[in-house]
Amino acid sequence: MESEPSRRRGEESSIRLAPVPESIPAFEDFVEALPFPSTRERARLKLAGDEILDNIVRHAAPLERRRVFVRAARRGGSPYLLFFFRSSSPTAFADFAAGYPAAAPLFDPARRRWRGMGLLMCRNLAEKVTVRHGAVMDRIILAFRRED
Amino acid sequence: MTQLDITVRNEHHRLVLDVTGPINSYTFTDFQEKIYKAIAQADTAVVMEHVTALSSAGIGVLMTAIEDAEAAGHGFAIVKPSEIAKLAMDSTGFGDRFPIVQSLKQV
Repeated sequence: MESEPSRRRGEESSIRLAPVPESIPAFEDFVEALPFPSTRERARLKLAGDEILDNIVRHAAPLERRRVFVRAARRGGSPYLLFFFRSSSPTAFADFAAGYPAAAPLFDPARRRWRGMGLLMCRNLAEKVTVRHGAVMDRIILAFRRED
Repeated sequence: MTQLDITVRNEHHRLVLDVTGPINSYTFTDFQEKIYKAIAQADTAVVMEHVTALSSAGIGVLMTAIEDAEAAGHGFAIVKPSEIAKLAMDSTGFGDRFPIVQSLKQV
C-alpha cells in the first residue's frame, strides 16, 4: 500500500492514499488521529469516508497519478470530508456518480451478502454529499452536522 | 486499530463470536466466513462492543446472517454494539431490523 503522511494545519488535515483496498485501514487511522472532531463527528467521518473511498477504489480506478487526496476540515463550525481524484478512464467517474443517490439494496448471490447500502449510508450520515466532475480533478465533498 | 480479531466460543449450547476491530471492506471476509459457519451450526450471538468501524460490506453480511439463521431455525443476536456500529446500522434507515440486545443474558 502506498500512502503519504497526513499534513495538519489547525482544524484541517490531509492525506494522500493509493487507490487500493489497503488504504481503507490507513484512512481509518487518519480519521482516528484527527484532532478536531468530537467522538460522534469522528464516527460519521470514518463510516462515510470508508464508503466513499471504497467506491473510488472499486469504481473510479484506475486513477491518474494513482492517488486519492483526502482532506478533513472544520469549516464554519461543521466538519467536512473532501476527496480529490482523477479517473484515467473517461467513463469511470460517471459510473461512480451513477451510484449516487443510491439504488435500493439487493442480495448478491455470488458474494453471499446484501449490497448497495454504502452510498445510502453516506446520504444518512452526512448532511450533504456533493459529487462534481471537474476538468482537472473530480471531487466528492461530504458536509456533516456539528455534534458535540 | 487496523486488525479484525474474532474469537469463537461455545457457551450454553450457543456460539458466541467476540469481534474486536474494524469490519470494513478490507477485513469483512473473515467476519463473513466465521459468522456464516456459526449460524449453520447453532444459535449465534455476535458481541460487537469493541467494533471500531462497520462498513456496508459488514452490514450486508449481518443482514444475510439474520436471514440464514431464520432459514436454519437458529437464533441470532447482535450483543451490545459499540456506538459506531449502532450508528452504522441506523444509517441504513432500517436499524430497527437488527436483533440487538445489550447483554448475552438476553439472548
